[in-house]
Amino acid sequence: MPATSRGDTLLNDTAEARSRALNQFLASVELKAYKIAQAGLRHQDDALDAVQDAMLQLARAYSNRPEGEWKPLFYRILENRIRDMQRRRTVRGRVMAWLPVRRDEDDDDLDPIAQAPSPDLPPVARLELDEAMTALDGALEELPDRQRQAFLLRNLEGLDVAQTAQAMGCSEGSVKTHYFRALQALRQKLGDFEL
Amino acid sequence: MNAGEGDPGRTTQLQSGLEIRSRLILEEGLSRSDARTRSRLNQARQAAVAAAARPSYLARWLGPLGRQALMPAGVTAVAVLVAVFVLSGGHQLTTAVADNPAGALDVLDLVTDDDAMNLLEDNDSSFYEWAAAQGDGTGPGAGQAAGGATT
Repeated sequence: MPATSRGDTLLNDTAEARSRALNQFLASVELKAYKIAQAGLRHQDDALDAVQDAMLQLARAYSNRPEGEWKPLFYRILENRIRDMQRRRTVRGRVMAWLPVRRDEDDDDLDPIAQAPSPDLPPVARLELDEAMTALDGALEELPDRQRQAFLLRNLEGLDVAQTAQAMGCSEGSVKTHYFRALQALRQKLGDFEL
Repeated sequence: MNAGEGDPGRTTQLQSGLEIRSRLILEEGLSRSDARTRSRLNQARQAAVAAAARPSYLARWLGPLGRQALMPAGVTAVAVLVAVFVLSGGHQLTTAVADNPAGALDVLDLVTDDDAMNLLEDNDSSFYEWAAAQGDGTGPGAGQAAGGATT
């Protein structure tokens, strides 16, 4: 086999391995990222758009970086995207306040089959779990943005302090402060949160 | 493997019941995601992976020869900019920050961060007790990063 052809094969193998690794990484974070985006934006489609944009930006700009750097980079991009969308929504809200009220078309899009609960749990346990989820979602929504970010990145995504600081663009001390404050606020609202 | 990755079921002894239970509930919420959400996330992922495989517009436009031709010009331009900056005495402006860059960032972060200022004003000693118990880098992520060594 000629040298250039061997080189091309090697390059193709590397690119394929990279694509596989990227696919695997994105699959491992997509649901958690969506949860974080939804908690910040409180809108399903906006949250999906934010995650999609973050995935594309990571793939285009940073897919050649070492895999170990992907997670904090991805969440940094996502946080920036969420903040941009929140700002844009604030501006849009001010403009829309001057316009006549219009019904949100997204309300019609709910699919009853997709929304139906899965039948794995007994009804009483499911009810308790539903209540706990609603309570936790409500408490998380009431947290300031930075506290909620710190809590979800650390507790749900499992980032350590340094990675969370990188993702949030602040110091490790700030992450500890935000996380501690979030825990205090949640404990105050939920108690010890027994199930 | 990333530092923060690991078995989500593993926890550190330092985690409170609230942290453990809230994570379980959040994970249960994720597992209940509807088909439409999963489908859209899957599409987004496929699009991102395809985008990563394509070379950028600039790279396609220049081609390998164009990149090779532009590289020396770019290096020269950067060298000229650095020389102009140094000769104009710009380095004096950065001396203070260069002496202690981490300290400067911490101060900036503290001043711009409402929570940190509140914490200072509150004189909340419980935070320092909690932070001391956590240590550096310990907690949910670090416990997982260590592969659950502290379980």
